[in-house]
Parts: sequence; structure tokens; C-alpha cells
Amino acid sequence: MALPGNSTRRIIIAEHSVRFEPSGQTVQARTGALISEIARQVGLDLNMPCGGQGRCGRCAVIVQDGGAGIRRRSTLRLTSEDLVAGYALACQTVLEGDVVVTVPVQEKIERRLVTDKTATPIVLPFTYDPLQHQSVRLLPLTLDPPSMVDQTDDWSRLKRAMASAPSSSLGQWDSGNGTWMKQESAADDGTGVVDLMADLSTLRRVGTMLRQHNWAVNAVVEIDIWDRPDGPARLIDLLPPGRTEHLWGAAVDIGTTTVSLYLVDLLTGEVATKAAEYNGQIKRGEDVISRIIYASKNDGLGELQSLVVGTINELLERAARRAKISPSEIYKMVVAGNSTMIHLLLGLPPSSIRLEPFVTTINHPPPALASDLGINIFPQANVDCLPGVASYVGADISAGVIGSQMCDSSALTLFLDVGTNGEMVLGDCDWLISCACSAGPAFEGAGVRDGMRATVGAIEEVWINGETYEPTYRVISNPKLEAQGQPTPSRGICGSGLISLLSEMFITGVIDKAGNLNFDLGSSRIRRGEHGPEYVVAWADQTEQGHDIVITKVDIDNLIRAKGAIYAGFTVLAQSVGIDLSMVERVLIGGSFGQYINIEKAVQIGLLPDLPWEKFHFLGNTALQGALLALLNREYRQQIGEAAQGMTYLELSADNSFYEAFTSALFLPHTELAQFPSVAEVLADRDMQSVR
Amino acid sequence: MALSGLEIYKLLPGSSKNPEVKKHANCKECGFPTCLAFAMKLGQKQAVLAQCPYVEEESKAKLEASAAPPIRLITISANGRKLEVGNETVLFRHEKTFYHEPGLFVRVKDTQADAAEVAKAVGEYMVDYVGMNLTMNGVAVEAAGGDFAATVAAVKSACPLPLVLLVEDPAAAEAGLTAAQGTQSLLWAATPDNWEAMAKLAAQYKVPLAVRAAGGDLDALAALAEQVKGAGVEDIVLDPGVRDYDSSLAAFTQLRRLALKHNERNVGYPIIAFAGDDPVLAGQHIAKYAGFVVLDRFSSGTVYPLLVMRANIFTDPQKPIQVKPGIYEINNPKPGDPLMVTTNFSITYFSVANEIESSGIPGWLLVADAEGMSVLTAWAAGKFDAERIAKSVKTTGVAEKLSHQRIVIPGHVAVLMGELEEELPGWEINVGPREAVDLPNFLKMQWG
Amino acid sequence: MPTIEVPKEKWNGKVREITLGATAAEGGTRAKTVTVGGETTLPFLHFEGEIPRPPAIAIEVQDRKPVDWSPVLLEAWGDVTEDVAAWTKAAAEAGADVILLKFSLHDELSPDYARQVLRHVLDATGLPLIVFGPGQADLDNDVLVAVAEEGKGENFVLGVCEDKNYRTIVAAALAHGHLVNARTAMDVNLAKQLNILISDMGLPLERIVMDPTTGALGYGMEYGYSVMERLRLAALQGDGMTQQPMLVTPGEEAWRAKEARAGEGVPQAWGDWAERAINWETLTASTLVESGADIVVLRHPESVKRVRGMIDVLMSKSGVTS
Ligand code: SF4
Ligand code: FES
Repeated sequence: MALPGNSTRRIIIAEHSVRFEPSGQTVQARTGALISEIARQVGLDLNMPCGGQGRCGRCAVIVQDGGAGIRRRSTLRLTSEDLVAGYALACQTVLEGDVVVTVPVQEKIERRLVTDKTATPIVLPFTYDPLQHQSVRLLPLTLDPPSMVDQTDDWSRLKRAMASAPSSSLGQWDSGNGTWMKQESAADDGTGVVDLMADLSTLRRVGTMLRQHNWAVNAVVEIDIWDRPDGPARLIDLLPPGRTEHLWGAAVDIGTTTVSLYLVDLLTGEVATKAAEYNGQIKRGEDVISRIIYASKNDGLGELQSLVVGTINELLERAARRAKISPSEIYKMVVAGNSTMIHLLLGLPPSSIRLEPFVTTINHPPPALASDLGINIFPQANVDCLPGVASYVGADISAGVIGSQMCDSSALTLFLDVGTNGEMVLGDCDWLISCACSAGPAFEGAGVRDGMRATVGAIEEVWINGETYEPTYRVISNPKLEAQGQPTPSRGICGSGLISLLSEMFITGVIDKAGNLNFDLGSSRIRRGEHGPEYVVAWADQTEQGHDIVITKVDIDNLIRAKGAIYAGFTVLAQSVGIDLSMVERVLIGGSFGQYINIEKAVQIGLLPDLPWEKFHFLGNTALQGALLALLNREYRQQIGEAAQGMTYLELSADNSFYEAFTSALFLPHTELAQFPSVAEVLADRDMQSVR
Repeated sequence: MALSGLEIYKLLPGSSKNPEVKKHANCKECGFPTCLAFAMKLGQKQAVLAQCPYVEEESKAKLEASAAPPIRLITISANGRKLEVGNETVLFRHEKTFYHEPGLFVRVKDTQADAAEVAKAVGEYMVDYVGMNLTMNGVAVEAAGGDFAATVAAVKSACPLPLVLLVEDPAAAEAGLTAAQGTQSLLWAATPDNWEAMAKLAAQYKVPLAVRAAGGDLDALAALAEQVKGAGVEDIVLDPGVRDYDSSLAAFTQLRRLALKHNERNVGYPIIAFAGDDPVLAGQHIAKYAGFVVLDRFSSGTVYPLLVMRANIFTDPQKPIQVKPGIYEINNPKPGDPLMVTTNFSITYFSVANEIESSGIPGWLLVADAEGMSVLTAWAAGKFDAERIAKSVKTTGVAEKLSHQRIVIPGHVAVLMGELEEELPGWEINVGPREAVDLPNFLKMQWG
Repeated sequence: MPTIEVPKEKWNGKVREITLGATAAEGGTRAKTVTVGGETTLPFLHFEGEIPRPPAIAIEVQDRKPVDWSPVLLEAWGDVTEDVAAWTKAAAEAGADVILLKFSLHDELSPDYARQVLRHVLDATGLPLIVFGPGQADLDNDVLVAVAEEGKGENFVLGVCEDKNYRTIVAAALAHGHLVNARTAMDVNLAKQLNILISDMGLPLERIVMDPTTGALGYGMEYGYSVMERLRLAALQGDGMTQQPMLVTPGEEAWRAKEARAGEGVPQAWGDWAERAINWETLTASTLVESGADIVVLRHPESVKRVRGMIDVLMSKSGVTS
């Protein structure tokens, strides 16, 4: 038997052969050599954004035979399937035998890494049946024409036709034919729509329509709405007999920073198109408080009202164009939004929201006619604003709670909606408690020098090399340029980019835990700019505008404050009911940036609690999702009302503990590093590496 | 033991298993929007159980038990001047707050010729501290071999405050109690030797009774309290018989812990401490758990700092500390020096004032009444707007002290600039930095 | 008869032990060193843990006669305030464990001047030193870097090290073998954060004294008091970033208060000036000692005497131990 000392020595001096594919280069290398080093020696240029620290996962290679002949020092970024498939991080993998290494094309890696973050397609939690769920219906009617014998007025005639029409004629979707079918059954005793009402402007068109279409029309009827669940039904419009393929509705979420919209076919429940745009009110103030103040001046309220209506109309235009319809074909709109946004949309003075004791004019506003609000859908269509809980926890949250289905489970759930206000709800099927804190618009890319929305040209993810402090980043590409094989120049940094940038700067030591830039590093990217210390993410020649894209100390402070406010909200919410954050079983994340953020980065900066990743679920825009559910299903509409009623609201301004929790969170990742064990590990690793 | 909000909620209709009770969930009859909101207020003692008509019997019993105060509230009084001590719920003020300031008493002996004079001075003493009138709480009359009853009577007529009767001889005690009729005094002390007679007196005259053990013997103290209680005295005060720093810190800490954390009912009473003529020891007693502190000497230069110290320690830490709104001069400013405005949240004020002060730059700091909120919070809540700033400029008359009309506002409220120009015609509004740290630099650059 | 069990808490943390000063054998010139910290329970609760040594008292002397000090103070010291070496000697005689040398703000203040003053003080006493700059970031850096170098190996406490200027001072402490006094504004979180930032620069926690700041009696003392209580509780509960011994400056704070400074034009109820002023300092200091201070910096010799008297009794372990 060989002595241990001998055997060790023998292994160290062993040489192995390494072949790289697809290039075919072959080289001899010693045991313990890094794959990335060997690749460099043969002149292979591996992409290594994080500088070989095993953080970015971009240097992944495939080792034949599932990875025999190598040892992985770190498997971060690799799933168990990846491991089986032989994936290894070149910068973290050492040689122990003869191997064949395949260097995949970079796009493949990108795709693999991106898939886990793409937004889930919209799936309804129920099987949509308009007959059962929908209150706006398309009713094919055939009337007996009037005659000298029957001089009944048009309106009564219409009502009579409607009442005697078979109940199933309220419509049924025939999925087999893909058409809207009128089905008759023997046992049917009519629709039950006896009482019908209509607005004057609808009435004005009744006679013409009936005659023009020979007494066969499609009636658009709203059978009920939340504040009159027992009717009477309301006639909204009469359509020519052929118009039966679609019946359009819209779900809208008015965020302080971003307005999003779904155009939905009420017959099928399918979302035809989506659209989103910055809220036109932004130029009048970035957060709700500034808007409230602006609204109280001169005609500030009127101006803000028309600005947001303008944004909605623009989105309607855009969505309608894509669906090849006209916005006036939309017969129902459901709106979610925070209380201030809803007040501004309805033209209600919001000033009391901001002043003690912080009350709204109305938490559950009645439906309004589109024409009264200036929204360019069908003028007599109802715009239904969902109910809020309190001044700072609005309909976006009640909708989100339902949209996220958090109260369907006994699992202790934390629901978070990150927008300009961070609103959060903690609880289970038995109780719900909510609070709101002002995070500012930073995570939506606004209020930061080079921030932007997550659209083409936005830097959405950044890695910084831990030795050179050089960044690498991914830009949301322009498909046209991409098709021509050209890179998309960057225009700015979006919310997810900012989170990943902050995290990388922190982990690599470009900034200290308090967010101060470290000038001792000697990187030309760390400099004193016009607005104080800053880090250059992209030099001018790589950008669209031709000036450097930077993150300034002020931006960093803003981001730290934003994340601190949100984390402090969690802390206080949990404290208020005497629960430890680590007891949370699920974290549901909604909000307009929800679907893009990278959990790991968000945890590293202390924005999200350090829980196992599988506890996090990104739900995208839950407020919009809730609005969609309410638009399609009156039961959900009612549940949202109940959620708003039964939710307990914690007023943070009445609470000293918030200030305490906030200062504690104004640090990276947090003053209590012990609350972030995974980050502590990464930092310890980093320090080890720097010693090495 | 106190229950958390969620623990209380589990006992309320909102989480009841009984549908007949559950149907009332979130009915708002208690005056709160939800059962959980009510539970949280109950937990903070800002609501009472009776506000909810639908609590089940079993839950009610649990909730009531958890709400019982671990340290009994003891009241003494005279001429409508009342002192309440006890009812404390925490060991450290930051955990919630200390509720009842300990009473400060001055000891006079019945052999002392100027007893009534001292009592008069004690009774009349009053000093203003940030708008509060601080006073002493009473006189402790000691039976030292003189005419106890007469001294009690003389003190009582010279001083309107409550009394402590320091007497161990039951006969003298009875004479003293008779002389003190009409007041609710504290009788000190029952000992293992005299407790039966003293307890009888306390019960008869309906006064609280202090029990005294020797040398910090807490076993003996608890036993005595139990005996006295058995004899019909409910209002008890503890004297563990320790007099120096070290042993009183140990004994008082242990008593407080026993009452709060170990539910030791026999020591669930306030403590009486004797500080001699050492104000530093009295200070320790105030901070560390005494309910009554007896000083041997009365002197303004000593009681003023002690009263302030007591006010400080018993300030509710949950409420923001405010500084007085007004104009503050820093580094002896001249009329041409800069004027800055901030809010009256103490931390905000101190950080701004400190920055200016340490920079050596002279300046005027205008502190607006923002109800004790920081700049951003106050602005968000409408407590720090152009109107309020303009008002404080006008009411403080700062303009007369200046040779210019320029004011620097915090960078966080840059949006107020336009409005402030309207509110303060003729003034130049400058937007300063967001953080106080940057003020000195700003002033150097902008205020040439 | 009921028997009561003495309620003892089980703490699993301990305050770090930090030594100020260095003797010749340790690379300095001090006749003695002073160690603080090491507590394993709340202040003076001998019945449940170790209080291995008393808190230290430092007396503040300045490089020249202070222009803004209360006459009560100046009178107490007499002529020695004219000469920093004499003052240092007097302070040592008045019972100081440590001398705090504070540079005042004036035109002659320069790195060279600071070195000279330091020499005088080092020659005048064998006690360990704490050296504070004038309190203006740039000047502090200049003065402290010079002083740190001049007193290489003496193991001073350099201050005041705050979040905005910690880097230079920490670098000086690292380079020349000193400690730092990390000061933050009456906030538990800020105190912890600064400790973290400083130790992230490579200065071991064994060389950081933390100064959570405090207000004087009547001027926010309760804030500092509670912050110190909370820091100490956290330390005992095992939070490594709060286990620094605490230094506070009740002398400076109290003597800034109007109650201590002003003899005339004050309410009669304030009582005798000197009595009140000394009580102001003493009570501020004693309250903070009971909330966990390990080093208190005082100004008046009488306060030193009284605080010392209190500490002596509190260390006598005469308390209930059953
Ligand atoms: S009164 Fe209050 S606590 Fe009682 S059931 Fe109604 S809402 Fe709940
Ligand atoms: S993980 Fe290997 S280079 Fe980033």
C-alpha cells in the first residue's frame, strides 16, 4: 500500500488531456487546474462577467460523461438537472482526469438562465363560464316587428323579447365550433331579465338600430354589478346581428409610476393583448404624496385626472390597434390602483389621505360611466373601481390578495406588491394584516439618474468582475437589431438592473455596507462626477444617447432607502402580530416589477427576507390580475370586496417601531447580518477568495 | 403574562370555531375596523375587553387573567394631590415605557425643630422644565422619639402633599394616623415583630402599608407581605431593608423581575427606597425600580436635577421627543448669517444643529412646529408645508434679527419652494442639501 | 414559608475586553494600562454574572485653556488649565484612570502643533490616553493622523470616528497600533453599523470602543440611556457587533447645559449654581454608568470623586447573593 504522502504527490503532478468542443483544441493540464485557466491557455475566450467568482453562471461549460474527471468547487447557478447534464462553471471547476469540455454558444446559456424568470402565462384559477361568471352579456334578440295590431313601444318590445328569450340565450360559448351559439332547451322559461334600464343616450339609438337591422339585434346587457347585485339589468348597447365573435372588456391597474392594461374577450376570458406605460402624472410628482399636494393646488386635481385618463386612453388605443378593434367596442372596465390613484381617476380630492387621521373620501366607490370620466371606451360602459382598505392600502392590494390567492391557504403568507409604494399583507385564510411604506419609484427605474422602465435598451442585469471591477451587463434587446445580429445599445438601467447592480457593487466591495463608493480600489469607473461620487456602468460609446450611464451615490442612497423601507415594512408587520419573519411559508411577489427581479440579488441587498428560494413566487402584476378576475367573475369581484373589509390595516406613521426597523434596514444587506445567512456566506466566500 | 396581538386575536370572534360567534367577525362594534385591529389595541392596553360584546366566556377568562397588572397600583393622596405608583410592566423603559414616576419625599423627624418649615419648602417647590411643572410628592415624617402626632399635624398643615409615616411602634403609628386623618398616607413599616398590629391599623385607617425585611431578605419580605395581605391589607409597599448602591440595585432588580417575569404575587408591589442625602443614590433608585424615594435633605440645587432626571427616565420612548419650536442661535450668529429651517423632531434638530455647530459656521436655525416629526414624515403628513414655515418665520420675528431675507429649506422639501415664495413675499428661498451632513459644505459654497 | 428563587438571567454574550495604553514591554511608554469590558451581565448585577472590573473614569484636558467652559469648572482646576502638562498631572491626581486629551479649534492647530502637545502630555503622565480632534472632519483627520504617528505603539483611543470620516482615522489606527472611538448619534442601529464598517476595514473589534453618544440630563439623556441599555442587552444576548465597551462623555454634555453653565438670570428654583452644576454632571454620569458605560469622561474633580464613590460601592459585591 502506498503511503498517503506519496499518493498525494502522485496525484498533484498528474497530467490529463483536455479537449475543447466544438473547436477541437486539445491540451495537457495538471490536476487541480481551473477549466477557465486551461481554456485561456489555448486561447478560448470564455465569457466571464463576474470575473471568475462563481456568481454569474455565465461561464458554464458541459463536461462529457456527466462531469467525471472534474471537481466542482461551487455549483451555484446550476440546477440538479444541469449537473446531470454535465454543466459546470469553468471558473469554479478543477481538473482531476481526462475530459472533453463543450463550450456552449452564449445564447444557450442566457436562455437557460432566463427561463426561470420569465413571467408565467395568465392562467385563471377557475374555468371560465360566462353564463355563470360574467355580468356583461351579449344577447341575440329577435323581436316581433310592430304593426297596427301591436303598437307596443320599442322599449317594451325589447324588454319583452329579452324576458322571453331562453335563459341559455344569455349566451353560451360553443367551444367545439368556436362560435357563440344560441341554444334552446324545452324546459327553459326565459332569461328572467324582466326589469331593464338604460341611459338616455342608449335609448336615443334604440329605434334606429331595431329598424336598421330588421328587429334582429345583439343586445349588450349588464345584468348586475356589485352595488346592485339583484339588478335591474342595464342595456348598454345594441349591435348588429353579425357582431357576435367578441365582447370586449378591459382590466387596468393604475400604478403611481406605471399603468398597465389587459384587453380581454369577455366571451372566452382570454387576454388578447397587454400594454403598459408610465403614468402621465409622473411629471407632476413622483410619489403619491407629491400628487396629493399637486392636486390640492388650483386645478391640479383636474389636470392629474386628465393626465391619467390620457395614459389609459393611449393604452386603450395601443391595445385596440393590436387586436384590430376600436376602443369603443369595450363594454366594461375594472380598475385597480392605490387609493390616491383611484381618487385622482374619479376626480375626488385626495388631500385627506395624507393628513391625519388619514382617511379617504371613499374606500369602495360606486361604478362610474366611462363618458363621465373621459375614458374612450364605449361611453355608457361602466368603469368599476375596486375597493381599497385604507388610505395607503388600496384596491391594488385587495385585488392583489385575491389575484395572488393568498387567502385560500392556511400557510402563513407574505404578499408583497412593490410599486412606488411598497404595500404588503401578512396572514393566512384566517386573518390578514397590511401596511404600506413609501419606497419611491426607484425600483420602477424612475427617480434614478439613468433609470428607465424595463423596455428596449434597458440594462436589466449586471455583473461586476471582483478583481477588475469592470461590469458586464445584459440589455433588453431590440428584436430588429437582434435579427441583424447587432447589439442593442443601452439607454439606461431598469429596476431589476438596479437591484442587480447594487448587489454586485456590494458583493464586490465597490461600495461598503453603507453604500459609500470605495475610492481606494483605483478603478477609473469610480469617480467624482457632477453629482458626487458615482460608478460608470456603461461608457458613452456603448450607449444610445452617447453619454456615460452611471449610478451615483445619491441613486445608491435612494435604492437603499427604498429597499430599507420595504424590508422595514415586513419587520414591523411581523412584529405587530408577534411573528418571526422566518416563520413565513410563502412569499408572493406582485407589482409591476415582480416578474423580472432576481431573488438572489434582491436578498443580497436586503430587499427580500433571506428565505429558501422555493418559498418565493413571482406573480407579476397581481393588482392587474385581480382586476382581471373581477372583470371576468362576479364571485371574485365580491371576494375582493370582502378582503378589503376584513383586512386589518397597520398605520406605520403611528408606529415608532417603523423608524427603528427602517434605520436597521438602511445597510447592506441589513444591520443584522444574522438575518441574512446566505449573504453572510457569500461575503465570507468573497473574503476567502481575496485571501487566496 | 401579556399576550401578543395574534394570541389575543385567536380568542376573539374573528377566529372562533363557533359559527354563532364567528358571524360577528369584523362587525366593528368595538370601534375598530377588524377583530385583529381590536386585538392589537387590547394587547397595547389601548382598548378594554368589554368593548367587544361577543367574546366567548372561556376566552374572556383567559384574556382577563393576562391583563391583570403584575405590580399593584398604590395610591396615596392629600388635598387632592395624588401620587400613584406601581402598575409597571417592563424592566427596561425601551420595551414599552415606565408608567408611574416614583414619588420623591423628604424626611423630617419629630425631634427636628424646623420640620414644618422644611415641609413648607417641599410643598411649595415647583420648577419649570420644558413647559412641565415639576414638584416634589410629599414629606416622610419619622417618629424619632419626639411628639410624633404633633409633628404630623404640623407637617400636614404646612404642606399640602401626601405623607409617609415612618414609625414602627403601633401606638405612635395610631396617633400619627389620627393626626393625618383626611389624607391617604403611606404607613411604614410592618416588621416580623409588629405586623399584626400594623396590619390592623392599615386596615382600619384604609392606608397602604409598607413591609420591611432586614438586609435584603426577600424570602422574609414575601412572607411578611403574604401575612399582611392575609390580615386584610391589599395595598402593600415593599422595603427590602437595603440602603446602599450595590444591595439596593440587586434587591430591587430581583423584586422587579420576580413580579414581572415570575409572576411572584407576594412581591407584586411597589418598592420604597431610602437614599439618605446622596442624590446619586436617589438617581439610581429612580431609574432602577423604586416607587417611593425618601431623601434626607431638601435643597433646590439637588432636587431640581433629580426631578428632571425622573421626568427623563419616565418619558414615553414611543413618542418622539420634540424640541421647542423657535429660533436657535448657533455659534453666535450675526444679522448677515444664514437662516435655515427644520422641524422640531429632536433627532432632526440635533443632527442639524450639531452639523452647523461643529462646522464653526454661525447661523440661525428656525425650528418649525411639525409635531415632532422628521422632515420627510412631517412633509408627507402635511405638518411641514409652506404655510407652517411661513408662520414660524413670522411668529418668531426672526426677520428683525437679520439683515437679509434668505432662508434655506431642507433638500427633501425642495418642492415647497414655489409656495414658500408666495407665502413669504420678498424672501429668497434656497434649497439646501437633503442630509444635515452636507450642510456645512453647502453653507460654505452658497453663502459667500 | 415561601422560598423565593433569585431570578437569574442566562446571558451567553460577553463584553469585549479592551486594553488602553501600552507599557514599555508592550511597545509604548505608559506606566500602566487600563482594561475595560469583560462583563457577562448587566451593570453590577454580581449575583448572576461577572463584572470583572470597574468602569474607568477619564478626565478631559484640553490643549489650551478652554474659552467656553463654565467658570465653575475653570475655578475648580485653577491655573493648571493654562498648561496642558500641568493640567494632565492635576487630572491624574484628581483620580483619573485615563486622560482624554481634546484638541480645541484655533488657528495654531496643525499636525506639528498636535505632535508637540501630545509629547507634553505623554511626558506628564503615565496613564493611558484618549485623543480627540477638534470635531471638524478635515481637521480631525490631520490632527489624528499626526498624533497617531507621533504616539506610535501607545495604544491610544483615537476619536471621534464617525460614519462620514471613519476611513482615515481607522487607517491611522491600523498603521500605528491604536484603538478608535466609534461615535454614532444615539441609535442602536447606527452604532452597530459603524462597528461593522470599521471592522470591515480590517481593524479588529478588540480595538474599537463604541461611543453611542448621549444627551445631558434634561437634554435627551434618556435617549442615550435607553440606547446603551439596548446595546448592552444585545451584547449579552450574543450579538457580536454590540459587544464593544462603551465610552460616553457626560462631562462635556452636562457642562454644555444651561443649568451647568449659567449662574445668573436663571430661576430661583434651580438652586445653588455649583451644587446644581456638579449634580448635573454627576447624575448624568452615574445614570449612564448604570446603563452600561465602561468609560465615562468627566470634567469636574468633585464629580470624579462622587462617581468613583458610587462605583466603589457598586463593585463591593455587598448585594444580595443568595
Ligand atoms: S366587536 Fe370588534 S372584536 Fe368583537 S366581533 Fe366585532 S369587530 Fe370583532
Ligand atoms: S460564474 Fe464563472 S465567471 Fe461568473
